[in-house]
Amino acid sequence: MTGSYAELFFLVFFGLAAVWFGIVVFRTHSMVRSAMALLFSQTAVGAMFLVMQTEFLGVLQLMMMATEMSIMALFMVMFMMDPGGMGAMDMSHQKRLSLRAGGIGLVAALAVSWLPDWGPAASNIPDAGRQVELLGIELLGRSMFIFESAGLTILTSMIAATMVAIAPRKKEGAA
Amino acid sequence: MSIFYILLTLAIGAYFIAVVESWAVHGRFSLSRPAFSALALFGRESILARTPDRLFFESAPVLLLVAGLLTMAVIPLAPGLIITDLATGALFLNAALAYVLVALIMAGWGPNGGYAMIGGWRFLGQFIAYAMLIVMPITAVAMRAESLSTTLIVLSQAELWNVFYQPLGFVLFWIAAMGLAWLPPLDLPNAPGELAGGFEAEYTGARLAVLRLARMVIILALAGAIVTFYLGGWLGPWLPDWLWSVIKMLIVTTLMLTTGRLVPRVRESYFLAAGWKLGIPLALANIFLVGVIALVVDI
Amino acid sequence: MIVELSVALSVGAGLFAVGLYGALSQTNLVMIMMGIELILAAALVNLVAFWRYLHPDVISGQMFVLIVMTVMAVEMAVGFGIAVARFRSRGSVEMEEARELKG
Repeated sequence: MTGSYAELFFLVFFGLAAVWFGIVVFRTHSMVRSAMALLFSQTAVGAMFLVMQTEFLGVLQLMMMATEMSIMALFMVMFMMDPGGMGAMDMSHQKRLSLRAGGIGLVAALAVSWLPDWGPAASNIPDAGRQVELLGIELLGRSMFIFESAGLTILTSMIAATMVAIAPRKKEGAA
Repeated sequence: MSIFYILLTLAIGAYFIAVVESWAVHGRFSLSRPAFSALALFGRESILARTPDRLFFESAPVLLLVAGLLTMAVIPLAPGLIITDLATGALFLNAALAYVLVALIMAGWGPNGGYAMIGGWRFLGQFIAYAMLIVMPITAVAMRAESLSTTLIVLSQAELWNVFYQPLGFVLFWIAAMGLAWLPPLDLPNAPGELAGGFEAEYTGARLAVLRLARMVIILALAGAIVTFYLGGWLGPWLPDWLWSVIKMLIVTTLMLTTGRLVPRVRESYFLAAGWKLGIPLALANIFLVGVIALVVDI
Repeated sequence: MIVELSVALSVGAGLFAVGLYGALSQTNLVMIMMGIELILAAALVNLVAFWRYLHPDVISGQMFVLIVMTVMAVEMAVGFGIAVARFRSRGSVEMEEARELKG
């Protein structure tokens, strides 16, 4: 036991919440409940980040995922056949294959988590303000090229997504 | 102990907001009207929709109240009077305010009714217009303070308040704050004359009391955010610190509640166009200007 | 034997498995994208756990998390743009009906 019991308890609590909400996403029939369950799963992941003392990343995850998953809820209502879930339709295919794939992935990842000896736990974690400073210096120092190109990628994808999504306008006077 | 003081401020502030709002709506100033109407709400029958989504319907007002309280938790009323002084306080404020959106989507979808659903999705549509206008002015404020902690942001304004240093960001953040609290003229979600109350219409009785209380807490928290980021928090000449904070918050709240009613309701398409085509370039220009000034001048 | 690290990695494993099941078994494009979001969240949990318990002095771990979050947002935007275009031309985004390129 490296840290306190509180950290382990909250990690288990939020981790179970994240996985449970993730399962609810695919078990429920109502589409908006599915989107909200995904939102709360991401919130639990953000809370795990806060427990693991990465305050900036946790707060960022909470903020971004609340907005993104709400927009996903809107898209679900736009595109799904039964957003309220009152029809109780089963909208899945190749169930056995996907259950087997999920099972194999779970076993493999759990084996990697629990079997190796990861070495001694590190204990000199910079505090939250220092982490923000270090992130900023890293962003504008070593990783500046990466983020400049990421910014360019985001701009390109914004333009591409907008152009793909705009309805073609009919020309005046054409046949 | 500071939690007690902040909750006391919240209670008094929420009552003050109720008094001012009833004055703005009804035209008569009455100090006891909110207390009587709150008591009446608890006594009234709570009418439920026929087939609501119970989970969303019940939890939306509670989530709204939680979001407002979490926002208030990082706002400093005085140098030590803050519930939790996070090192990333400004960003945490933003994260808590994003859950207002989640709560309103749940409130819109829950009652299984047309007007409520339209009100909920209208809030999402408006939110997309001012989502960036909330974050980018905070970026400029944090640039000056060289920290995201709300206490340090207030302390960085000791020589010059941010409202004079970054007026563009102030205006943008004010508009976004009014949209986030669905105050007129950005009150399409509950459009009293047009949408029969929107998502607020399906809530009656005690749940409506919680919803209204949550809304007042959010308005107070947003006023607190404006005061912290732009109006110098607790800084002021003769009075004690917390009194300055409270006075500034109440002045901002009164202005938010009363001046918006003089303008007709803003249509969503206009607001989206203005927010993206005008607001975001202005916010980026604000960040650029603040960066240049911070490098050149020594305040 | 760092118990917290193994717990966090197990959470990542669980999220990955649920996301993989969802991405493979759902027919609607939006649900598939939700599965992909869960897989990316699992990757984020693993990254932060490794940073916190093994290498907290190297801030590049957190930088990687920021890049993955950026990728999540961009992928959602482009994916939903494509979904809107497909819905407009075909009337549905069911992947079972997307057989135009099938041999």
